[in-house]
Amino acid sequence: MSDQIPLRVTVIGASDAGCAIALKAQAAGHRVTLVDEHPQTMGQMSFDAPWFYGAALPAALMNANAVAQVVLEANPGIFACSEAGVDVRVGTIAWGAFQNGPNSRHIGVPKVGLVSAEGNELLDHDVLILAPGVRDFVPSFRGADLPGVFGVKAGVAFLDLYQCYEGKRTLVLGTSSRAVDFVRRAIARGVEIVGMVEPGTAFAAGDAARDEMAALGVPVHYASALLAAEGKVAVTAARICDLSGGAEMAVDCDSLCLAIGVLPNIEIPAAMGCRMRFDAGVGSWLPKTDAAGRTSLENVFWLSSFANGGADPKVVLEAMAEGGAMGDVQPAPQAASDQGAYLRSWIDALYASGGGAVTLCKCESVTRDDFLGLAPPTYLHGGLRHPQSPVTGPEGTGPRVHQDLLKRMTRVGMGHCQGKRCRDEAALLLSLRFGIGLEAIRPGSYRFPVRPVDLSLIATAEPAGLRWSYWLHDPEPVLE
Amino acid sequence: METFDLIVVGAGIVGLSTAWRARKAGARVLVLDKGATAYEASSRATGLLSLCGASPLEAPLAQEAEKLWDRLDEDLGYPTEWSQKGRLWVAITPAELDELKVTFQTFQRTYDDFELVDAQTCRSIVPPLTPDTLGGLYTRRSGNANPQRTSQAFAWAFQDLGGEIREHTPVLEILAEGGKVKGVRTPQGEVHAASVVVCAGAHAAPLLAPLGLEFPVAPVRFDAFVTTPLPPLFEAALVVHGLAVRQTLRGNIHLNGGPHEWVEAGVANDMPKPVTPLVRNIAKRLIEVFPSLRSAQMLRSWSGILDVTPDQATVVHPFDTPSGLIACSSAGHGFGMAPSLSVALSDLALHGKTDMPVAALTLDRFGKLPKDWRRAWNWQAGNYNT
Ligand SMILES: Cc1cc2nc3c(=O)[nH]c(=O)nc-3n(C[C@H](O)[C@H](O)[C@H](O)COP(=O)(O)OP(=O)(O)OC[C@H]3O[C@@H](n4cnc5c(N)ncnc54)[C@H](O)[C@@H]3O)c2cc1C
Repeated sequence: MSDQIPLRVTVIGASDAGCAIALKAQAAGHRVTLVDEHPQTMGQMSFDAPWFYGAALPAALMNANAVAQVVLEANPGIFACSEAGVDVRVGTIAWGAFQNGPNSRHIGVPKVGLVSAEGNELLDHDVLILAPGVRDFVPSFRGADLPGVFGVKAGVAFLDLYQCYEGKRTLVLGTSSRAVDFVRRAIARGVEIVGMVEPGTAFAAGDAARDEMAALGVPVHYASALLAAEGKVAVTAARICDLSGGAEMAVDCDSLCLAIGVLPNIEIPAAMGCRMRFDAGVGSWLPKTDAAGRTSLENVFWLSSFANGGADPKVVLEAMAEGGAMGDVQPAPQAASDQGAYLRSWIDALYASGGGAVTLCKCESVTRDDFLGLAPPTYLHGGLRHPQSPVTGPEGTGPRVHQDLLKRMTRVGMGHCQGKRCRDEAALLLSLRFGIGLEAIRPGSYRFPVRPVDLSLIATAEPAGLRWSYWLHDPEPVLE
Repeated sequence: METFDLIVVGAGIVGLSTAWRARKAGARVLVLDKGATAYEASSRATGLLSLCGASPLEAPLAQEAEKLWDRLDEDLGYPTEWSQKGRLWVAITPAELDELKVTFQTFQRTYDDFELVDAQTCRSIVPPLTPDTLGGLYTRRSGNANPQRTSQAFAWAFQDLGGEIREHTPVLEILAEGGKVKGVRTPQGEVHAASVVVCAGAHAAPLLAPLGLEFPVAPVRFDAFVTTPLPPLFEAALVVHGLAVRQTLRGNIHLNGGPHEWVEAGVANDMPKPVTPLVRNIAKRLIEVFPSLRSAQMLRSWSGILDVTPDQATVVHPFDTPSGLIACSSAGHGFGMAPSLSVALSDLALHGKTDMPVAALTLDRFGKLPKDWRRAWNWQAGNYNT
């Protein structure tokens, strides 16, 4: 492919890795388009993907122009790309990606579907670089839908990106390095951190971070879990419990930052059909990639700090010019993280202390028990004649649990967030409850569009001359 | 050697319902699927029961299905979301209105309870229809259900009776000996049975070919999507402007439509089912039909592959040789037909005969079909049906 310079390169996600490769590719003479969904419209923010903003969207976000300005200034990567001549599309969702393959041969040049407040277009590319960053891991607990509860990525965005953080006294769930980073930023903006909650007995981010938090005067509640966020119209307190003795206490706070972990955005490669692998370290399915970020699909790259260290842009650039897909034989990379075990310990603690009646799927209001018991949604006013188990297979032949079955029967993950908030906890609950490894649980399918998209924006007239017959085909007259 | 009375190849709605009926009749039944239960066409369908009014050949079977649908929740013990709230065909352009009149005439040959209705009546049945609505064709009969729930209901009801579904176990070969079917070969070895029913959807033809049996089906892929949930708007199953549409009990608008792409299936291969940018065109048509849906969202799209027969009518064919082997294709409307189709398949497998009206649905009607029919009709893989 190397003689085809300039290549048309579409980079999805103005993450650090995305901006770095966009700059590098542009400098090498390619024609680069960089797409990022931020700043999101308030409508999109209310869908809580990829970041969990929760029910309280600060009024300051209503001024879309001011927000857009703030967001651009806050991301030096986007600014640099723009200066370098990259075609930068912010506030633009890459809702799908299409290329010819088995059973779909009419796509022509590979393309990405883009949609923004102005409408939608299909953008052709030679190389697709997926660098879509991370989403919040959102555990369930009582009161999780109260205004004032948000994920750590959303919290950092409120603080530094949108600069409209409204909390005064914030409790932080988790002692991961993400949590520590959030605490630092919050304190720098004058927010009081009333405590951190940790189900284990050690500070997850290590002793140095523990000492730093102590020096900042942040109390840490060890061997504890969150029972509930409390408040009538917004968070006014958090109830936490001691995991060993069960003693409960209320912590006075007006906001709750869920900083247990973040997970890579994998919906585009998964929905495109990239081959995936379960990474126990990260606690997530990831596209298989080689060191240059190549996936199993031709000229599609996936860059993530979770997989290939964000891959050296120089290496990616060379691989782009070479073209192709990753080879078949690739050693599975060493787990780069111990987040998987940490997420599990949290869900274990929340499930043990909170029980089965807690709402797991916020979009469809389904409890943990109803999920695990495959109960039909309440609006069907009926049950199952006999109890059923989600475990459908013996060990050895294939996945033992298909999360799609649970999705279909209980609707967990079928709502407007498409499982972005609950699917990982749902898998962990299945794993804990039925003693099955996460790798034997086939995750629910990802589907385009990767964000809900207004029909008015995505609607497009069909090509002139296309015959659109209802159902299959006019019956053929050949049989006499 | 494991031996069963009946092996059903394919855990789609047709295979599962057949297995349940045969198990209820006392047979030892094994269902094998290359993947998971109802992962193919049966979980991707829109969920309308077609009355097949334009096809005198299979309308009787559709009428039997309609009766059985009414008691399915009760029979199975699991909710299917079946609601018999009628069907409405709507025209929003003059050309569509002309087509509708022709459809009405053909339907009248089969049914007498269909009526041409004016735009106002259409909009009273389905209030959000565009003011451009010109007229419709309506029957109180028939309805729609949730394909995923229904397929799973058959699976559970079958397992409740002690039936076994083996997932991730592809059938690589159908075994026959001395003119009789003997069983199947899987990667885990042979399994034997006196009868084998092939409910393998798109894969039936390549599975039967090594026995020298020609099974004329052409697989096709096409797109579907749902919107975010909306308040209750309408209950009838709707065909309009090149789309098949229903509103689910949860409130999502669920639809399919658009050009269909012919594809090729192997014996037991995993077939990718990518959606295409055609979903944007489907969205356009949807808001032409329902202008108020402009502000709703496309939530989730997918595509599915189904098997089409040359005359687009169901095939139920018990082979003479090898005896004990039965193959079926539901020709793109197997979801609605499964309740009665399964009675026929189970009867034929266990007793060699059935009261269900399927005698006209054998392969015998294709005697004059040219060998290269797919090529001659442009139904080859890669072509659109336009
Ligand atoms: C988008 C869409 C909308 C539709 N809408 C409607 C509708 O509104 N109404 C309607 O009536 N119909 C509709 N249909 C058609 C309907 O879904 C199918 O006709 C029906 O599901 C067919 O059921 P089946 O069991 O024959 O096939 P499938 O559900 O495809 O099941 C076949 C099974 O066989 C398995 N299999 C295949 N080969 C092998 C092998 N060698 N070994 C083991 N297992 C094998 C497959 O894995 C699969 O699970 C729609 C279809 C689609 C795709």
